[in-house]
Amino acid sequence: MYWKNNTMNGNSIRCITSVVTILFLACIPGFSDESLKREPPEVESLLDRLDELYESSGTRSTMEIVIVRPRKTRTMELKSWSKGQDKALIIVQSPPRDAGTATLKVGDNLWNYLPKISRTIRVPPSMMMGSWMGSDITNDDIVRDTSYRDDYDYRLTGWSDDPPGWSVELVAKPDLVGLWNRVEFIFSPDTGLPVLARHFDRKDRLSRTMKFENVKTIDSRTVPTLVTIIPEREEGKQSSFEYKDIEFDVEVDDGMFSLSQLERKH
Amino acid sequence: MALQSTFRIARRNLGRNLRRTILAVTAIAVGQLAFLGVSALMHGYANQYFDSITGPFVGHIQIHQPEWRDERSVDLTIPNATEILEIVRAHDDVRNASARIYAPSLVAVEHDGFMGMVMGIDPRDESHDDGLLSGLEQTHPLGERRVVVGRIFADKNGIEKGMELALVGQDIDGSIANNLFTVADVINSPVAMVNTMGIVMSLEDARDYLRMDDDANEIIIHLEDKEMASPVAADLLSDPILAHLEILGWRDLVPHLLTMIEFVDVYKFIVLFIVCIAAIAGIANTMMMSMFERIHEFGMLLSLGCNPGRLARLILIEASLLALIGLIIGSGIGIGLVTLTSDQGIDYARMGGNESSFEVAFQGLQMSSHVYPNLTTSDILIGIAAILLTAIIATIWPILHVIHLEPVEVMRS
Repeated sequence: MYWKNNTMNGNSIRCITSVVTILFLACIPGFSDESLKREPPEVESLLDRLDELYESSGTRSTMEIVIVRPRKTRTMELKSWSKGQDKALIIVQSPPRDAGTATLKVGDNLWNYLPKISRTIRVPPSMMMGSWMGSDITNDDIVRDTSYRDDYDYRLTGWSDDPPGWSVELVAKPDLVGLWNRVEFIFSPDTGLPVLARHFDRKDRLSRTMKFENVKTIDSRTVPTLVTIIPEREEGKQSSFEYKDIEFDVEVDDGMFSLSQLERKH
Repeated sequence: MALQSTFRIARRNLGRNLRRTILAVTAIAVGQLAFLGVSALMHGYANQYFDSITGPFVGHIQIHQPEWRDERSVDLTIPNATEILEIVRAHDDVRNASARIYAPSLVAVEHDGFMGMVMGIDPRDESHDDGLLSGLEQTHPLGERRVVVGRIFADKNGIEKGMELALVGQDIDGSIANNLFTVADVINSPVAMVNTMGIVMSLEDARDYLRMDDDANEIIIHLEDKEMASPVAADLLSDPILAHLEILGWRDLVPHLLTMIEFVDVYKFIVLFIVCIAAIAGIANTMMMSMFERIHEFGMLLSLGCNPGRLARLILIEASLLALIGLIIGSGIGIGLVTLTSDQGIDYARMGGNESSFEVAFQGLQMSSHVYPNLTTSDILIGIAAILLTAIIATIWPILHVIHLEPVEVMRS
């Protein structure tokens, strides 16, 4: 869980707090523009919407994670709360042996709370590239906030047939710190939502592929409810994050995101 | 008879210009001494590297799941480790066998975490000379969630004896493993991984922490004779219970480090080559000077009917005598110096003014400033043979010159 430097990083997606968010928050009503199918979309508007996917004054969700490994498959159920882009709390609900384990993000800091030993441990910077909860996303994915519009140079590269959609290439600006050299997004011509993202490392090798599926309308937002992350060169591994329930713009108490509260609650 | 008199003349000729003979003998002796000295130090380092490789950490043979070396994943375990250990120990060539568990973990004394490596071992099986706890097991009992921690790791992260460590990792099922452990002591280990990131606990504690049964990630075997690694590995692999596992000898486990050690021989021969070049120059020069000084004498001998072949033998014997005397002196001093230093060793750190020796680790190799010179008979023989051959080669030019001498011209000149 904490040690394997896998190939993922958060530049590409403001995951987990934001996986909670990114995957599902998207969806600006009315974006489903027929014109997208006929003529190339404006890249800026696609990226603005991608960045806005993360934004909610308060988000509450329930999620199921399926972590597939060559010899085992593990399923976890999580509850998460987030506020803006800086604060998030994720608590494991099941399996019972992991229940109560929590991850708290405040700004660039990440803590793990272990109920069995009643300890809260800050994840050190040296372990930010380590796997989060044994999945195929990294601790850094959870912590990092990246604006695709501001942090990357971008261009529409054309129509993609597999999967069908508009392909946009993002190249990290020289001063951007992170794992990714380049990200390729394919946006649905129907909804303007991402359907696929390919992340290329600093040597420009394909490092992971993210699939965005099961688009549903929740609370008047249309969002993909299943995100699958497939790491490259690691046969038999993948992680799926499926939102079972999500609420946007709900009241979330600031006090939830404090260490003392975290330890008191358990 | 002729050879005897030739030998006598050669010996007498060497005494004619004693200063030049002493200089040539000294050059050869220093050359042999340099070769033996470098060989002894190189062997000392090679032995140190080899012990570091096949000692407590790698062993002579390892058993694990076929994917273990690539993935190092906690769940790649050998089930029924106790039964497998019994099979391994029953082999006549096996001296020790022990099961180990490795689990990278997040470690915390208080809130801030840092990376560590949990190593689960059986203290009884690791107390032998090649074990991880060699010499330490009596004073550092493991078990009941007591752990020992490597010195460098402890110093870097502020860990002290008696502290409580929180460990978080991933168990055999992929779930979160976490527990609290007490630091029984901070140890200096010959194994780099233990020193720099090791948290050593008993097998039982590691299994409890990682929810394992009778599992182990690795079985380390030490043999009576390390050169038997391949046949013993093949024997073990023929056992149906072990057939599905990967069983490898040290040559297969650390081939790149083996190459590094083999480079010692290359380095040794480079030095020998340089010594031989210097010897060629010294001997050829001595013989040429000696020949020109005696050119009239050679002319006289040839005019009296002396066979040019006898003159060639004379030069050859003179050169060989020079080389032999130099080799005896050089070898004697070399063997003496190595004998004097082989027990106590040579500490470069102390020679450089440091108060204590130091150790550095590179790719699992522990390298020390303290080296124990070690000379083999083959090194001495190789040195002698190479320099003697060099002496013979060095006489080719003077011999060719002598056998082509025209006696009348030489006498007249």
